[in-house]
Amino acid sequence: MPHAPLTPGLDAVVAFEGAGIKLPQLNRRKVGASRNRLKRIRGDVARDEVWFVQDATFSVARGEALAVIGHVGSGRDQLLRLAAGTLIADTGTVRRSVPIVPIVGLGGALNGGYTVRQNVYLLGSLLGMTQAEIVERLPGIVERADVAKILDKFLGDSSRLVRGRIAWSIAMAVQAPAYAISQALTVGQPAFQQLCWEVIEERHATGTTFLVVSDKPSELKRFCDRAILIDGGRILADTTVENALELLREIPPPKDQVHFVIDDDDDEDDEELI
Amino acid sequence: MLVLRDLQRQYTKFRLGYLWTIIEPLGMSIVLWFVFSMLLGPRKLGLQPYLLFLSVAILPWWWFTKGVAQMSGVFRKNKGELRVSLLPTELWVLRILLVTMMEFILSLPVILVAVILTRDLPGPLIVLFPVGIALQFVLMYGIGLLIASYAVVIPDLARIVRIAMRALFYLTPVLYSITNIPEHIRPYATLNPLVAPLGLYRVGWWPEEHESYLHYGISLVLCLVIFAVGWWAFKRHEPRILKEA
Repeated sequence: MPHAPLTPGLDAVVAFEGAGIKLPQLNRRKVGASRNRLKRIRGDVARDEVWFVQDATFSVARGEALAVIGHVGSGRDQLLRLAAGTLIADTGTVRRSVPIVPIVGLGGALNGGYTVRQNVYLLGSLLGMTQAEIVERLPGIVERADVAKILDKFLGDSSRLVRGRIAWSIAMAVQAPAYAISQALTVGQPAFQQLCWEVIEERHATGTTFLVVSDKPSELKRFCDRAILIDGGRILADTTVENALELLREIPPPKDQVHFVIDDDDDEDDEELI
Repeated sequence: MLVLRDLQRQYTKFRLGYLWTIIEPLGMSIVLWFVFSMLLGPRKLGLQPYLLFLSVAILPWWWFTKGVAQMSGVFRKNKGELRVSLLPTELWVLRILLVTMMEFILSLPVILVAVILTRDLPGPLIVLFPVGIALQFVLMYGIGLLIASYAVVIPDLARIVRIAMRALFYLTPVLYSITNIPEHIRPYATLNPLVAPLGLYRVGWWPEEHESYLHYGISLVLCLVIFAVGWWAFKRHEPRILKEA
């Protein structure tokens, strides 16, 4: 069973009903993470769980481009991940009628230890393409991302721009009926951004649904038909993009961000066999 | 499933040289054979020829430890991918299981070498060998799901698993035969779900390893129960797994 099960009969692309999710928020304290961990084992420190999205009820119709507007840390990305199904709601339900491809931190799924070609296969299959589809669309992806020269080179530490282009091109090659995009409506240098615009506007015109998070108001104004305003995990308004941006100006931005996750000291699991 | 095959291919590309999958267990078998057969000779541990006896069990044992060790960290290791993956979450566990199983199967020529060295051909009961693989597969999938799920909640579990594996190595008839265990504790020893698959691997050469079908039945039920528990734990923790990603 996939972790993003579909509800075929649903009218909307995605429907939230009282959905909420709380996530662990581990603040890195100055005393050092290891001591905290010891305490956690003993049960002294309860893991602080914070509601990132609360009681969200809305739905997105086919072909809509919905902007999710809010300050950093307001739960925007979590809302998109809930929509795509890469998070499962703690309360309420999120139902979707079609697969929604998440473009939320896609770059993190690219693996520097693989070649560009392998990354296309890897990420492509993660996002739901079949082997045959990837083979068929590989030339298109390569051309669009302009990586023909480095196709069989290791991705290594190639620049963020290149990674962005690759990830974006793969995601678009999925030709999904819906996308949940965070900060990546357009990526790369201006020329590539222009290409992004052409592609997404064409997709939008042909009925693809978008959920968009962006810190560039101009992008949202240009692309989205509708907006929901979110703050502190709660949906405050369901209105036009202009209105939502206007309302956002009245909400004080958060003072500082305290969403650190303790780095797991990922020591190489060299399994001793005996 | 297509995905898995593809992932596997990438995996193996990094394991430069297939030869290592053979040399490693072969070397280990020879060392252990030397110690337990030559140095501690007259004790008669296990069955003869000991080199073969050892390698038949040590390969699946490696599959087991390698697989379980890797599965225990799988969700933490694949954080980045898990975040965007639209594939079923359990696939990550299954992937490791399949990759390690492939490694196991690729290392089977070691047994062939041992057979040639000892000139001891298996009897008709060798047909039970694949049954052992199937049984171990179910068992490992269950354990893998269980441990992988709880490792997300308890980060230190991976370490505990390592110690447990070591203990299990000595508690399981790998170096010795189930027939070495005194009669009165043997029923308890056979409750170890690994005993049945290991017995099934060996029974082709040593019919005296054959247990009653009742025992195999009990082991199968045990494996299925472990699988069910693993699946239940995994489904329960799936939201949590995704949150930590």
